[in-house]
Amino acid sequence: MLELKNVRKSFGGLIAVNDVSFDLGDVGISGLIGPNGSGKTTLFHLISGFYKLDSGTISLKGEPISGLPPHAISQLGLSRTFQQTRVLPFLSTLDNLISAAPNQLGENLLPLFFMAKKVRQEEALNREKAMEILEQLKLSDLATLPAGDLSYGQQKLLELGRVLMADPALIILDEPTAGINPSLIRSLVTTLKQLRDKGIKIFLVEHNMPLVAELCEKIYVMDSGALIFSGSPEEVQGNKRVIEAYLGRDNNAA
Amino acid sequence: MTAYYLQLIVNGIIAGSIYAMFAVGLTMVYGVFKFINFSHGELITWGAYLGLMFTSPPFSLPLYQAAVPALAITVALGLAQDWFIYRPLRQSNPVSLLIASIGLSYLMRNAIRLFWGSDFQTFNLPVARGLSFGGIYITIPQLFMVTAAVVFLTILYLLFTRTLLGKSLRAASDNMELADIMGINMTRVTVTVWVLASVFAGTGGILLAMDTNMDPMMGMSSLIKAFAAVLLGGAGNVWGALVGGLFIGIAENVSVAFISPGYKDFISFALIFILLLFRPTGIFGIKGGVR
Amino acid sequence: MDYLYHILVLAMIFSIFAMSLNLELGFAGLYNFGHIAFFAIGAYTSALLSLNGVPIPLAVVAALVVAGVIGAILARFTLGLTGDYFGIATLVFAEMVQLLLLNERDITRGPMGLPGIPRPAWIGSGPESLVWFLLVAGMGTAIVFLLLQRLANAPFGRALKVVREDEFVAQALGKDTTRLKTKAMVVGSVLAGFAGVLWAHYITYISPADFTLNETIFVLLCVVVGGKGTNLGPLLGGFAIVFFGEFVRFIPIPSEFSRFVAPLQGMIYGGLLIVMMLKRPQGLISESRR
Repeated sequence: MLELKNVRKSFGGLIAVNDVSFDLGDVGISGLIGPNGSGKTTLFHLISGFYKLDSGTISLKGEPISGLPPHAISQLGLSRTFQQTRVLPFLSTLDNLISAAPNQLGENLLPLFFMAKKVRQEEALNREKAMEILEQLKLSDLATLPAGDLSYGQQKLLELGRVLMADPALIILDEPTAGINPSLIRSLVTTLKQLRDKGIKIFLVEHNMPLVAELCEKIYVMDSGALIFSGSPEEVQGNKRVIEAYLGRDNNAA
Repeated sequence: MTAYYLQLIVNGIIAGSIYAMFAVGLTMVYGVFKFINFSHGELITWGAYLGLMFTSPPFSLPLYQAAVPALAITVALGLAQDWFIYRPLRQSNPVSLLIASIGLSYLMRNAIRLFWGSDFQTFNLPVARGLSFGGIYITIPQLFMVTAAVVFLTILYLLFTRTLLGKSLRAASDNMELADIMGINMTRVTVTVWVLASVFAGTGGILLAMDTNMDPMMGMSSLIKAFAAVLLGGAGNVWGALVGGLFIGIAENVSVAFISPGYKDFISFALIFILLLFRPTGIFGIKGGVR
Repeated sequence: MDYLYHILVLAMIFSIFAMSLNLELGFAGLYNFGHIAFFAIGAYTSALLSLNGVPIPLAVVAALVVAGVIGAILARFTLGLTGDYFGIATLVFAEMVQLLLLNERDITRGPMGLPGIPRPAWIGSGPESLVWFLLVAGMGTAIVFLLLQRLANAPFGRALKVVREDEFVAQALGKDTTRLKTKAMVVGSVLAGFAGVLWAHYITYISPADFTLNETIFVLLCVVVGGKGTNLGPLLGGFAIVFFGEFVRFIPIPSEFSRFVAPLQGMIYGGLLIVMMLKRPQGLISESRR
């Protein structure tokens, strides 16, 4: 699914991601953990195209995607969320979702006038789909509200909903549960499991260890920009290097 | 021929020293408050016209005395704009701040037209005698301009490097929120920035009007030069703005030898354009990067 | 009555101009402070061509194409910039266009401007022509409004707003943000050019003095007061500001004070911009919570 080969990125003198290689393979939900500042978010930005790699290659479904702009990578079937939620505050909750539908004909100018009927049909389908997702996320009542008025947890769900609109092959989630309350976490977990069962691959950064252990079949561990271990949750919990990476620092907030 | 080019360079240094004074104020405001203050140009114009007011009846003061109340009022205007307009907008969308400053600039410019009309005006100084240094001519007001610019910028340098206030200013320029948290008195920093920016703008305006004349648009055209200088020196960088101002003054004046004088302003415009293309990220637009 | 028609034509031209700016500023979040350049480009292109014997309809089409192409070129160079830097770059662009108009005298006659710009024969030039021109301007305004409504309510308009609100999210959602913004700028430039075309053939005399920073501030005011991000806002804003400007002229003032009128009007415009930013930055017609 997603394959990284010798990926490297530095900012000035600081090496943020150092020679990372792995292949997510066919695993349903994979996790990425590591102490703060170990390069997880940078790696996600590299995968989704927001940062340019210094060297190495990234490929999705066998196709190289490194070097492509973010929107092109997104169109190839990779959707992402951001660590801090980024809904579109002045757009309605519903519009937040509909606008996430990929490759809309009506976003081009000429079809608006010459294929108006087709644009309308497509829009109706997207709207229907968006309503379904709102239903699923239990946000239907808030459909017409500006998304900026939603609670933080609801915004997180909305962000996930946006990802679902795209029918992605792979979703990467940067700390999906950070800052939301336990009951919302449960509904998020349920949603993630449903997605996995539908065959959508998920790759997430998460600090909530019990949750990672519950969800992920395979876990990758980063420390100081390098991939130091990967394996099943049990293997990770027993691994000495992983424990050292976390406990070897005083300022570890994870 | 050499004398001709030397003369152009000297003219450039004279113009550049004034641009530098404008640019220093503009870049200080930009550095601390992170917005381009369009009405900075009008502080320049107001400085000059207030000078005119105090040299005219009923005051009829000599220019060096008239400059004192003129600058005092310019400073008051600078502080007032921050207090009534920019401070309340500090927390809102930065583009609101920019639009408000465009509105304020227009308001202040039209107030000048209301009080003094749109025509060119002068201080009615005695006809300037030209001094000749080996074929290079320079008038006494021009000599005065360069001297004043050097004195002011030296004082600024000492303030920045030798005083605690200067240190606070630089800290606030790096990161206003952090400076606030670290217990730097932000009110004092804010006042200092506006006082300095207004004094530099007002003095520059008076000096500019001494050399040539004044009209309501003088601030706006100077602002564009100053902005080019700010970009050239790196936004927020005071010493960069100084060098940038000199560079633009010289480039503009030397260009007269090669292009039609009608296109003199094109130099700063083109410079702004090219510089922006090479430093493509503004200070806002994309909030806080991709995190 | 003729005077009212005249003001209505002006209001319509400025409404078109304001709506075209709003597509960039209100929808795409592109703070274009040099939009007047495209008004000028439209006016000059159509005027110069028709003065040189090109049939007016052809001259108009050419003017729109030229405005659009130059808009695309400007977009190509400036869209890498964000927020205030984009604003400055476009402002400087307009100043450069102004300098070209002033200095390329062989083509533009410089500050003397271009007099005697022809009108279509069926409109004529006498007082009766006013009604015809009103009709043309009214139809133009209606077409531009409906066209922009179509764009605004379509996925295109929504995508522009996504770009405006958060460019990174737009990219993560697979939107080609540069292409979207370029399209907004091209359409905005063409429509501004159209407003300029109407102006040139209506007034029949243009000079660089018509296309300055003052006009930029004027149209910005129309958009900001009316309400950016809706099409109705700038449409009404254009009417409101033009009528307000004319209303000020009718306040009976002794002739010795008449020189104060223009500066006072300017001060009010400037003050209004400030007050709007302080008290109602979304404008009179608010985009959200409709």
